[in-house]
Amino acid sequence: MFRKVIFTALAMILGVAIFSAVAKDKEAPVSSQTTAMVGQAAPDFALTAADGKSYSLSSFKGKYVILEWVNFDCPFVKKHYGSGNMPKMQKMMADNGVVWLSICSSAPGKQGHFAGKELMERMKAEGYAAMAYLIDADGKVGRMYDAKTTPHMFVIDPKGMLIYAGAIDDRPTTKFEDIKGAANYIQAALESSQAGKEVTTRNTVPYGCSVKY
Amino acid sequence: MDKLRLIISTILCLLISGGVFLHAESDRVGHVRAELTAESPAIYPGQSFLISLKLKVDDGWHIYWRNPGDAGAPPSIDWKLPPGFSTGEIMWPYPERILLPPLTNFGYEGEVSLLSEITAPLDLKPGDKITLNAIADWLVCKEVCIPERADLNLTLNIADGKTIPNSPHPEDFTNAKALLPIPAGDWNISGEYNDTVIIFTLTAPDWFDGRLSTVDFFPYNRGVVANSLIPTLTREGQSYQLSISRDMRVHYLPDKLNGILTTPSGWRGPDSEKAMEISVEMKPVNFVADTEGVSNLGIALLFAFLGGLILNLMPCVLPVLSLKIFSIINQANQSRRTSVVHGFIFSLGVIVSFWILAGGLLILQAGGQSLGWGFQLQSPAFLVILSSFLFLFALSLLGVFEIGQTIPGRLAQTTREGYPGSFLNGVMATILATPCTAPFMGSALGYSLSQPPVISLLIFTFLGIGMAMPFVILSAFPGLLRFLPKPGQWMETLKHIMGFLLMGTILWLAWVLSLQAGADAVIMLLAALLLLSFGAWLRGRWGNLALGRIKRLTSAAAFAFLITLGLTVGLYGIDRTERRPDTSDSIIGQGIKWESYSPDRLSELRQSGRIIFVDFTAAWCLSCQVNERVAFGSDEVQNKFAELNVAAIKADWTSRDENITRALAAHGRNSVPLYILYYPGVATPVILPEILTPGIVLKELNSIANKPSTM
Repeated sequence: MFRKVIFTALAMILGVAIFSAVAKDKEAPVSSQTTAMVGQAAPDFALTAADGKSYSLSSFKGKYVILEWVNFDCPFVKKHYGSGNMPKMQKMMADNGVVWLSICSSAPGKQGHFAGKELMERMKAEGYAAMAYLIDADGKVGRMYDAKTTPHMFVIDPKGMLIYAGAIDDRPTTKFEDIKGAANYIQAALESSQAGKEVTTRNTVPYGCSVKY
Repeated sequence: MDKLRLIISTILCLLISGGVFLHAESDRVGHVRAELTAESPAIYPGQSFLISLKLKVDDGWHIYWRNPGDAGAPPSIDWKLPPGFSTGEIMWPYPERILLPPLTNFGYEGEVSLLSEITAPLDLKPGDKITLNAIADWLVCKEVCIPERADLNLTLNIADGKTIPNSPHPEDFTNAKALLPIPAGDWNISGEYNDTVIIFTLTAPDWFDGRLSTVDFFPYNRGVVANSLIPTLTREGQSYQLSISRDMRVHYLPDKLNGILTTPSGWRGPDSEKAMEISVEMKPVNFVADTEGVSNLGIALLFAFLGGLILNLMPCVLPVLSLKIFSIINQANQSRRTSVVHGFIFSLGVIVSFWILAGGLLILQAGGQSLGWGFQLQSPAFLVILSSFLFLFALSLLGVFEIGQTIPGRLAQTTREGYPGSFLNGVMATILATPCTAPFMGSALGYSLSQPPVISLLIFTFLGIGMAMPFVILSAFPGLLRFLPKPGQWMETLKHIMGFLLMGTILWLAWVLSLQAGADAVIMLLAALLLLSFGAWLRGRWGNLALGRIKRLTSAAAFAFLITLGLTVGLYGIDRTERRPDTSDSIIGQGIKWESYSPDRLSELRQSGRIIFVDFTAAWCLSCQVNERVAFGSDEVQNKFAELNVAAIKADWTSRDENITRALAAHGRNSVPLYILYYPGVATPVILPEILTPGIVLKELNSIANKPSTM
């Protein structure tokens, strides 16, 4: 009888110990923003666009999404807009059902930060042809994605996974003539992924001007 | 003004060179003044000589080194030379770090000379003049960047080679050459790397009697190092270790790493050259300073066995363990043979499940996935299935229905579970054990990582054998049962208590699920459990043997239907829920401010000179939870952390995370918990045991006074 009581008591103590270990109150979360890494889910964000509408990444689940860090006054960005390369790609991607979001993380007062009418006029002048130009004035989304340069490109697949991060192509210059013949990493990543293949070049070093945080 | 300066400098040049014709052009473009100068005003046939592209950059602006760092682009020179002339690459003076937080660039401010070596052909006629043309392109940045270009000419006289003319600007070229990296020469440099860091070991030559203060590294290629993190130097006698953080995103590393090392101390002693060019073969290595490091198979197998044995005492296995003891008590009256067979089948259940786990792990790893011990608990679907299974089991323990209801009468009483039951018990014990890592186990599993599949399986087998061993012994020697109470009514009570204990386990699994897939998934899981309980009740109410065959069959069909429906609902709940970024807050530790792990953040902190504690944990890892509550709940530990300003980092592996899997692998592990302490200036971290107490943490932190501090 004595042994039965001891054994039952022991079992109960163990049970209580485990419960208390598990069910104890939790502290408020202390989580800093995680950085976007290729092969992992792309962190979600919501930003206001030039047209005043709000866009969130998660609302495009099921589609390919391209993120482009932009600063119209950066010579490396000028190379791609001035030559018509960027608008051409933006149109082509839109025709293929790919969502293209440009993000400007320039802080107010720094180069590349535009708003309102001035921005709309500038977009028109640049031949801007993507879905939305998003304003990230406090640089939060830029830091979340560890965006370093303009341009800095990211490709996200329909499942929301980041499949490419880095440069737009393999010619890190400001010269218009270098666009012809350059290997475009964005197109390559999209083509492989859409064909169901592994993306071979998943990370490259982005080139351009520093993002003006 | 500039024009005037140009004229004056040109006149000066002419005067200094003693009337020899020399035409140098200075071109002011935007924010840079560019000029071509020659080391000597005249050249002779066949001579190799240096030409300098001198760039004078406006205050506050900068141009870039060959590897510009996070942004920017290096200058380039396009030479147009007379026939027969040839030119070498730009000789780059060492750069400085240009900080634009959060970015870092490598480049130059003020004045910089880019030297190029040009070789003249042999068939030149003394007395003639030649003109060298260079189109120089550069990007100059302050906040903003501007590409600039200069078209520069330099006319030189051709001498006969007998008289060597004096240099018009001797000091210019001497200064420029002093900024070029010298060859490594007598310095012996070897390189090692793991997933996060590159470590150079620099051994000073015998004649070097200086002492290096700090050393910086600039690789020739981009994407190799985390540009914004400054390397740390530690000294060990005549050799130094330089620890450099890798670029975690691009993660590029050539077999042979080329770049330059710089030190303000000078590589040949004080006031000597500050930069040295290196080309180092890189070897992979695990920087593990583990006292229980496993290096051979025998020890790995022993550790696996011991780990399995201790696994039985881990909180996650206890409910099943109690049940097992319970069934052994039940079987005490049977023949010894039956009892041994039960023990054997239980072990088989354990070992087979370990094989399945190991097999799954190996196959997924071969498929390129970064996974480790406990990986199945990172899957919400698995959590739903496991919870459902445990819930049914708990209901059965509580007597809502009998799992063995179809087994007739008296037989069911004695061998309640039968042989399949024993096997299932083994499977259950293993599944429940996965959230736990016992002492010894981490090292053994870590060792299995680097081994061929057969060895991995062998190590898992020993884990299983270790875990099953107590029951095999107990079954084989029923005499030992003397020490346990006799079977009776109390066992029914205990069974019910175990049922509630399992419900507690489900509570915990639901919490893990909520962290992985959010509240919606948990609500769907609860709905699934409701359906299951309804099914179990139907089965218990109308599945009784005393009732008619039709009723029994109907209840069985309804039961099966409701299980299927329940599981579908539970799994549907996950599909519907977006997997949100993990914001797990599984750590209790009032007073300790935990930061989330990221390789960059860790490297950053490692530069800061603080002590860093990294806690590799997961919500589903019960040992982790217990350790954290015990060790970090202690006031003394919290005070110590505050006193020493310890940076606390939590690497939460609740959901899959390649960064954390990689970091674990870098320490020879693929399981949590893992506790690591980094001391400033010490390359290799200290690894604390898997069972953590306040005493262990305090003892380690108190020993800081005895650690060599090089910072």
